[in-house]
Amino acid sequence: MLASYLTMAAILFCIGLYGAFVKRNAVVVLLSIELMLNAVNLNLVAFSKYGMIPSLTGQVFALFTIAVAAAEAAVGVAVLIALFRARGTVKADEFDELRR
Amino acid sequence: MAYERTLQSMTWADAGHMAPELILIAMMALLIIVDLVLPRRIDRSIIGWLSLASLIGSFVSVVWHIQDQADQSQESIALGLLNDNYRIDDFGAMFKLLLLTAAALIALWSLGSMKRGTRGQLDHQGEYYYLLLPATAGAMLMTSTGDLITLYTGLELLSISTYVLVGLRTKRDVALQAASSEEKVSAKPAEAAFKYVVTGGISSAFILFGMSYLYGLTGSTHVGEIGSMLTQTVDSFRGLIYMAFFFMIAGFGIKIAAAPFHAWAPDVYEGAPTPVSAFLAVISKAAAAAALFRLFYNLVFPESLSNGNTIGHDLFRAVLAVAACAMLVGTLSALRQHNMKRLLALSGVANAGYLIVPIGLSFYGAHSNNAAELFFYAAAYLFMNIGAFAVLSIVAGARDSESDDSVQLRTFEGLYHRAPWTASAMIIFVLSLAGLPISGGFFGKLFIMMGAASTHAYWLVAIMAGSSVISYYVYFGIVRQMFMRSSGDVSVHVPAASGTVVWLCAAATLVLGVYPNGLLHWFEHVFSVVNDLLVLRR
Repeated sequence: MLASYLTMAAILFCIGLYGAFVKRNAVVVLLSIELMLNAVNLNLVAFSKYGMIPSLTGQVFALFTIAVAAAEAAVGVAVLIALFRARGTVKADEFDELRR
Repeated sequence: MAYERTLQSMTWADAGHMAPELILIAMMALLIIVDLVLPRRIDRSIIGWLSLASLIGSFVSVVWHIQDQADQSQESIALGLLNDNYRIDDFGAMFKLLLLTAAALIALWSLGSMKRGTRGQLDHQGEYYYLLLPATAGAMLMTSTGDLITLYTGLELLSISTYVLVGLRTKRDVALQAASSEEKVSAKPAEAAFKYVVTGGISSAFILFGMSYLYGLTGSTHVGEIGSMLTQTVDSFRGLIYMAFFFMIAGFGIKIAAAPFHAWAPDVYEGAPTPVSAFLAVISKAAAAAALFRLFYNLVFPESLSNGNTIGHDLFRAVLAVAACAMLVGTLSALRQHNMKRLLALSGVANAGYLIVPIGLSFYGAHSNNAAELFFYAAAYLFMNIGAFAVLSIVAGARDSESDDSVQLRTFEGLYHRAPWTASAMIIFVLSLAGLPISGGFFGKLFIMMGAASTHAYWLVAIMAGSSVISYYVYFGIVRQMFMRSSGDVSVHVPAASGTVVWLCAAATLVLGVYPNGLLHWFEHVFSVVNDLLVLRR
């Protein structure tokens, strides 16, 4: 049972990582990061039930992660709105002012 | 292993021990309200002075705590608060002193460089000053954590506050944006902030993913328990343990900006307001390095003691590989860099490499003062880096057309003829960054090299020496610009607060270079590995 959860989480994490690196839409990039964090939550909850030594700590950890990820997403979207106002686009590959 | 956790409430005594962090958090809450009720016409510098005062207050309470411990008993015993989730010990306390010094210097410097009416004034001045406090508090949490959840919370408190700090625009940016009717206007701070949010988010996800496996294998998030459980489960789950630690090394590597995880650093440092760049360069790095140090010596070190080809040795080697890579990549890419902020960012990458060398060197017989090496180098790095960034913002302030982020190497030309004192201070920082004598940086690098040599990691010593030699070329480019060229047209105005910071940093760098033993002995006097670093469940 545990193995399937872990595989699922690993797949989610990889999809998120791929999206964060490859996707051109900045909103999707933020979404991909959330996907990675949710993969972690899945891991934590699965371990807290089926792990070597099951304990509640994992679920508490997952709650912390969810709360902090929400704060992070809020800041991320706020920054993205500021960027959109200045540049008029959300295409991540057009945010290239700094490399010049 | 069955263990029970009872819910421990926080007592007043606990609150007293956590006073340094609580002061910062309480002052942040207070300053938010002050900012809200103050009329708009009142200068927000008052909030800056208040946050500087709270940083100093917090510093005093840390010093008081160290003294109090020293008075009470010969051997200072670490305190574990909230069921050992939070450790009050001398390792954390010493690093807190560093972090608070850095934050106070940055706040003081901002009071000069972001004064009302100057070029550097931010659009949201009040927010800048009170966001410095939770960022510092988060860094302090990281240094004294005994539990993965606490570590993660501190890390995110630091990160999320700095995401916002990076994105703060100056009044000038706002005015430019309003004036131009074109669609594309300068959005450097927002772009830097976005890049930082994305890389920061990825790094947290990496760290968390690693942590989740550690939790799964040991059933605990307490650092000491994980350490003791890992030695038992290590044989059956080698692959998972490797994976957990590699994810965590990568995540912390991004936070410390060590190559190959450094690509975000030049962009973010360039776009951020200069004091915030210095904050990222010094405080984020030092806090993450301290947290990584404590994690490694609790989780990996016990396992590496057992004989044979253990996972611990491989993990230490992985950290050393990252360190070597950071030193080489940082210095080599700084060679081609002409933008000063990006150059300092890349020099920060190289310095991150030196900073994590003591983490990768395990304790071997004669060699046991890794923590002192890390601490000393972090202290030297703090002063030289904040000083260099402060000089940069002073030099940029001389030209009205330029903003901090477009300062090129040649903006420094003839600085000696325009502002001899500032140029001499810069010489001290450059010497220290390059690791030449009579500077803190020299002894910092020397101690780390001697440490590496005493553990027979000669390849690493060679890489350190090599990258130092290459870096001379980079840093002497700055010196050449300052002395050999003469273009004495633009006079340099030094704001009093920025000047004070530059001279405090220069003096501290010199003191560390002339009398390194003072700081080193003090650290070794208060610090003991067993009491202060290892988090053992009692």
